[in-house]
Amino acid sequence: MPIEAGDLAALTVMAFTAMVPITLTAIGEIVGEKAGVVNIGLEGIMLLAAWTAVAAYFLSGGSHIAGYTAGLAIGLLLGLLHGVIVVYLKGDQIVSGVGLNLFAAGATVVGTLALWGNYANSPPVDVPQFIEIAGQRVSPLVPLTILMGVAVWLFLNKTVAGLRLRSVGDDPRSAEAMGVNVYRVQIAAAAFAGAMAGLSGAYLSIDYIGSFTKMITAGRGFIALANVAFSGWNPLLALLGGFIFGFFEALAGFAKLQLEATAESYLLQSIPYVATLIAVALVSRKGRMPRWLGRPYVKE
Amino acid sequence: MATTPLVSMRGISKVYPDGVKALENVDFDLYPGEVHSLLGENGAGKTTLMRILYGEIRPSSGKIIVEDREVKWSGPWDAIRAGIAMVYQHFRLVETLTVEENLLIYLSSLGLNRAEARSRVEEAMERLGLEVPLVARVGDLPMGVRQRVEILKAISGGAKVLILDEPTSNLTPLEVEALFSVVERLKSLGVSVVYITHKLWEVTRISDRITVLRRGRVVATLKNDGVSEEELARLMVGELAEQGGRGARRKPGKAALTVRNLRVLVDGVERLKGVSLTVREGEILGVAGVAGNGQEELVAAILGLLKPVEGEVLLWGKPVRSPRDFYKLGGGIIPGDRSQILAAEMSVGENAAFIFYTGSRKIALTPGEVEALYREIKDRFHLVAPGPDAPVGRLSGGNQQKVVVGSEVLRGPKLLVAVNPTQGLDIATTRFVRGLLSDLASQGVAVLLVSADLDEVLELSDRVVVMSGGRITGELARGDATPEKVGVLMGA
Ligand SMILES: Nc1ncnc2c1ncn2[C@@H]1O[C@H](COP(=O)(O)OP(=O)(O)OP(=O)(O)O)[C@@H](O)[C@H]1O
Ligand SMILES: [Mg+2]
Repeated sequence: MPIEAGDLAALTVMAFTAMVPITLTAIGEIVGEKAGVVNIGLEGIMLLAAWTAVAAYFLSGGSHIAGYTAGLAIGLLLGLLHGVIVVYLKGDQIVSGVGLNLFAAGATVVGTLALWGNYANSPPVDVPQFIEIAGQRVSPLVPLTILMGVAVWLFLNKTVAGLRLRSVGDDPRSAEAMGVNVYRVQIAAAAFAGAMAGLSGAYLSIDYIGSFTKMITAGRGFIALANVAFSGWNPLLALLGGFIFGFFEALAGFAKLQLEATAESYLLQSIPYVATLIAVALVSRKGRMPRWLGRPYVKE
Repeated sequence: MATTPLVSMRGISKVYPDGVKALENVDFDLYPGEVHSLLGENGAGKTTLMRILYGEIRPSSGKIIVEDREVKWSGPWDAIRAGIAMVYQHFRLVETLTVEENLLIYLSSLGLNRAEARSRVEEAMERLGLEVPLVARVGDLPMGVRQRVEILKAISGGAKVLILDEPTSNLTPLEVEALFSVVERLKSLGVSVVYITHKLWEVTRISDRITVLRRGRVVATLKNDGVSEEELARLMVGELAEQGGRGARRKPGKAALTVRNLRVLVDGVERLKGVSLTVREGEILGVAGVAGNGQEELVAAILGLLKPVEGEVLLWGKPVRSPRDFYKLGGGIIPGDRSQILAAEMSVGENAAFIFYTGSRKIALTPGEVEALYREIKDRFHLVAPGPDAPVGRLSGGNQQKVVVGSEVLRGPKLLVAVNPTQGLDIATTRFVRGLLSDLASQGVAVLLVSADLDEVLELSDRVVVMSGGRITGELARGDATPEKVGVLMGA
């Protein structure tokens, strides 16, 4: 199965389009975790946002902007909800996240049935045309994701607000004593993480795949969490981690086209996940983990 | 001294939600540029009074007047903006960030931008004559430097009043001297300092005025001219119990703890360079030395927490390789930093039970057993606490220490390693704990006393070894051990 130069270029472009959801979600989650809030419900947020985006797309008579806005908004709201549960109600961060995942899995199936009359799929969406490189359609979210990575890195490392946010994830008690409103920062960060997951979900359905299908996220929310650890909470490295995953996903898809046998093709589909696992296992740097990650902060 | 006080607290009372009457009708004045010490036993209400001034808690009644205006704080930040800052014993700095970043967070809360913050810090360093490494990570700095960062933070934020709560308890003697000169400098800049401590010599040395609290009331406010330490002690306690004194000792028995040629590396640095010592049953072996000369590593190695690269630790001839071994063989520990062993949000009873049942095979505990343990500690160690269910973090520092010491002593170890056992304790309790160690030794317990307080080591120990640079630089017998001789060995 020879791979030609043209294929390689196409593969690279496909990798860029495949990296968007896990990368954007990871970048958002880095902000959340730097403020000490873990959201393992990202998968659920993406799923709900993917569904909402398609629903909004059809309701608005075919507007991608409406779809994206709805996805972002639902993500923001769910992130906010998670933030409030964790910060004010001192709920367990993991339980709240698991709750989100379970709710999303059920709600999207019911929603699909209600709107489109079956359990599995929405009708297809016209995917937006932006530019085309090496014969592959490239979404505007690809450059946006890269910009977001750079912007978040700059925010975290070069601004006072970013510094204040980091202090919250490492030592909320001291941060509070130095005048940082810990709760407000945590809720804002959790909302941002949710919003990015929402945007990713919308991208998956109305842009990347072109319809809503049951379990459309296929674990990307969890891969995004793995990417956070892989990157050592550095958004620039999250871009790299996302690209690696995207590349394997593209490769699996590409190889599937060349192979007929289904058994192998299933095996191939697991490549990106296995690759992620290996990458995380090799590169995870625990030392950079925000010190107060996942623990509730109780004011005196 | 100026004629009008900068801060005037009038008729302050405080009853905590759980009914503890911490302060009753307290008057406290602070003049510009004075060092005003607050003295009192554990639980007298010193910290409470200052947390009220700092806006962290609200008084039940009474008023606060700052520069002739009555103020009502809704939180510390009101106080900070009015120029009142507080430095706690446990610093409020983010250890993972650099000094500069910490200062920037604080100053940005006051509305300053990066450039303004920088020039404020530089100006404050200049005025205080203080050097701190701005680009170092706070977590890498010794306690004395962190404290300087806290002071710098307060002053660059425009503090006119600086409250220091037990500022010397984690400092080495050299750092204490350095702190004193900073305090002098603050005074000359017109900053008022409230100085809370249990150490009387510090009080007579640096204060202008002294206020003594006893059980929530002011018993005296006096000028520091010619006041003796005895007088202050009497004011604090009311009446002084007679000096503890050393109980009669038996002849030391078998070797309980043997440390043989111990070498320990931490992050590749050799922290113990071949330490040997023996503690026998019924004696107190004191380890003197400036903090940071290997004492911490020695204790960790004895507990089996640090693996030596060479040498061994034996309890009654059996090797200690893990904390489990240590406890199983009859070891007990009073750690130097009580916050390491206490879970602040858990109750007094639970914390006591944790310590008391360490190494026991017990699977379940009944509330009755916890309650009984609490009662015993309360009675035998004069613990002042609202009850077994109160979170241990709510107790005053000294009472927290009593929970630690009490639970461990009641467990009945045959070898007790005591690290700075009287840190943060008032005079009466300090005497009590020292008396206790002495009694334990007379009952045949082997005691290894590791303390940065030289007086304590000399008062209690049968033999003294001195540590310096990871080595034992000398051993002195009781009677032979004078501060001068030990001082020489400390620098050896
Ligand atoms: N948050 C709190 N809730 C309830 N009671 C408290 C709280 N903080 C302190 N107390 C109680 O108020 C009293 C005064 O405590 P405070 O901490 O002011 O004493 P202190 O003089 O600083 O003692 P120490 O020398 O031991 O630090 C004590 O009886 C203490 O148990
Ligand atoms: Mg106190």
